[in-house]
Amino acid sequence: MNIEHFLHNPTTNWMQEEGQYGDIVMSTRIRLARNLTDFRFPRAFSDEEAMQIDKAVSNVLIDADDEEEQHFQFSYFSLHDMPALQRKVLVEKHLISPQLADKERVGSVLLSKDESISVMINEEDHIRIQCLQPGLQLEKAYESADQIDRLLEHHLPYAFDDTFGYLTSCPTNTGTGLRASIMMHLPALTMTNQIGSLISTMPRLGMVVRGMYGEGTESVGNYYQISNQITLGKSEKDILLDLQSVTEQIIQKETEARTALIEHASIALADRLNRSLGTLLYARILTSEEAANCLSNVRLGIYLGIIQNIPIAVLNECMLYMQPGFLQQHAGTTLQPNERDVYRASLLRERLQCNRELKKGHSDEEGEDSYDV
Amino acid sequence: MICENCKQRPATITVTQMKNGKKTTRHFCEVCNKQLDSFHLNLDFNADPISMHKLFSNWFGTPSWSVSAPNVNEQKTQEQENCPECGMTYHQFLNEGKFNCPGCYETFKEQLPQVLKRLHNGAVEHVGKVPGSINELYQLKRQIEAIRLDMKVAIEEERFEDAAAMRDNVRSLEKKLQVGGESQDEH
Ligand SMILES: [Zn+2]
Ligand SMILES: [Zn+2]
Repeated sequence: MNIEHFLHNPTTNWMQEEGQYGDIVMSTRIRLARNLTDFRFPRAFSDEEAMQIDKAVSNVLIDADDEEEQHFQFSYFSLHDMPALQRKVLVEKHLISPQLADKERVGSVLLSKDESISVMINEEDHIRIQCLQPGLQLEKAYESADQIDRLLEHHLPYAFDDTFGYLTSCPTNTGTGLRASIMMHLPALTMTNQIGSLISTMPRLGMVVRGMYGEGTESVGNYYQISNQITLGKSEKDILLDLQSVTEQIIQKETEARTALIEHASIALADRLNRSLGTLLYARILTSEEAANCLSNVRLGIYLGIIQNIPIAVLNECMLYMQPGFLQQHAGTTLQPNERDVYRASLLRERLQCNRELKKGHSDEEGEDSYDV
Repeated sequence: MICENCKQRPATITVTQMKNGKKTTRHFCEVCNKQLDSFHLNLDFNADPISMHKLFSNWFGTPSWSVSAPNVNEQKTQEQENCPECGMTYHQFLNEGKFNCPGCYETFKEQLPQVLKRLHNGAVEHVGKVPGSINELYQLKRQIEAIRLDMKVAIEEERFEDAAAMRDNVRSLEKKLQVGGESQDEH
C-alpha cells in the first residue's frame, strides 16, 4: 500500500460507520505507550539505537501480516523521507501525532489498511500503539490495541517493572501507558453556557479536556476530547470504565440541553443552524474557524432533524477537507492563508451542493417507499 | 479529619472523584488541594517541553514542598547519583520532567513514589496488565502479597488455624517463585 492510499482518501474507513452515540461522540481513541529494555528513550538515544528499534518493531508487525495472515495489512512509512505536506495530512487525519510529524532524523509509522491502527515508532516512546473507532467504542478500540500489544510483547523485550508497570519516557504515562480519549461534539452544552462548569469539573474526576483543533482547552467547532489523566494505580479496565461512565454522563447532559433548546428556542435554533448551512453553501471566503463552527451547527441540525438531505459522511469528509494540509494537497500546490480561505469556501460549497442534490432525489424516493408501507 | 495527601494538615476540602465507575470522596487540606488542582489545570499531554519543564521545576522546587518532605537530606545525596545507563541525574529529571532510559526508574526508585503520587492521584504502584513473558512470576508475587494481607487479618481476628494454613500456602508459593514459577502448572 503506498502513501497515496492514505493521503487521498478523505473519509477514513473507520469514520464511515457511525458507532454508538454517533450523534454526540465522534470517535474513540486508545493509545498504548511501550518501550524496549536496553535502549535509551528517543529523547536521549543515538541514531544507531533508533535504527535497531525501528527494524525490530516493524519486522514483527510486517512478519505477522505475512505469516499468520493477520488482517491488519500494515504499510510502513519513514517520516524522514516524507514531504512536510504529507506529514501534515496524516496529522489532520489523526493517523500520526504532531510530535512524530516534527521528528527530523528518526520516526516511522505502520498504518493498517483500514487506517484504524497506527503504530508509531520512536515518537516520545519507542512504541506508541494507536487505535481509532467511530463513536463510543472503548472496549473495541482497546481490544484492537491489546492485540497489537500482545503480538509485540511476544517477540520483543518490553521495559516493565513490577512496581511501576510499563516504563515510559514521561512519568505521566507510567503504569499502564494507556491513554483513552473520546472526541465529543457538544454544541448544545456550549450554546446553553454549561460547558465551562463541565470542563472545570473534569480534572476532579481524573479526566483531562482538550479542544479538537485549538490549542489547550480552547475549542473550535464545539469538539472536546476527554481523556483519562491517571495511568498508575488503576487497571486498564477501571480506566476505561471510569471514562465510559463520565462520557455517558456528558452524553446525557448534552442530550438534555439539545431537548431544552428545541423546546424553548426552536425557531431561533433553526434560524441559527440554517444560517450556518447558508454560509457553507454560498460563502466565497471561509476561515477555518468559521468553517468549523458552521459545520458544527449543520451537524447539530442534521441530528435534530432541522437540516435534511445532507449525509453525515459528507459532513465528516468536509471536516477533513477544510484543514490546511488537506486543502493544499487537494489544490496540488501551496496556498497562502487568504488563498486557503477562498479555496476552502469553494471546496466545501461544491461538496455540499452536489451531495445535497443527489441526496434530495434519493430521500424523496425513500419517502414514497415509506408511504407504501 | 486529616488531609489524605500530606497526612499533616486538617482536611478542609472535599473532592469527588470517579473510581471503578463509582463516585468516591477524598479529603484534602487547602495547600494540597491547590497543588493537585493547579497541576490538573496545567496538565497538557502534548504541551511543549518548556512548559512541562517549568511545571516540574516550579512544583518540585517550592520551599513548602521540600519542607514537607521528611527526607530532605537523603534526597540531596541521592540527587547526585547518575543513572548508570544514560547518565541522567535526579536533579536533571526534575528539571526536564522526563526520563532518558528505562534504567532511570531503577536508579531513582527511592524518590519516584513522591513524584508519581502527585501525578497519579496518590498512586505509586502499577495494578494493570503485565507482559505475558513475566506474567507468571509476577502473578505469583501478587498472590503471595495478597495471602500475607489476609494472614494479618486472620491473626488480628485470632483465627490462628486459618493463619497457619495461609502461612503454609505462602511457603509453597515462595518455593515455586524460587524455581521460576515452573511448577505452577502442576496444581
Ligand atoms: Zn495536605
Ligand atoms: Zn537512565
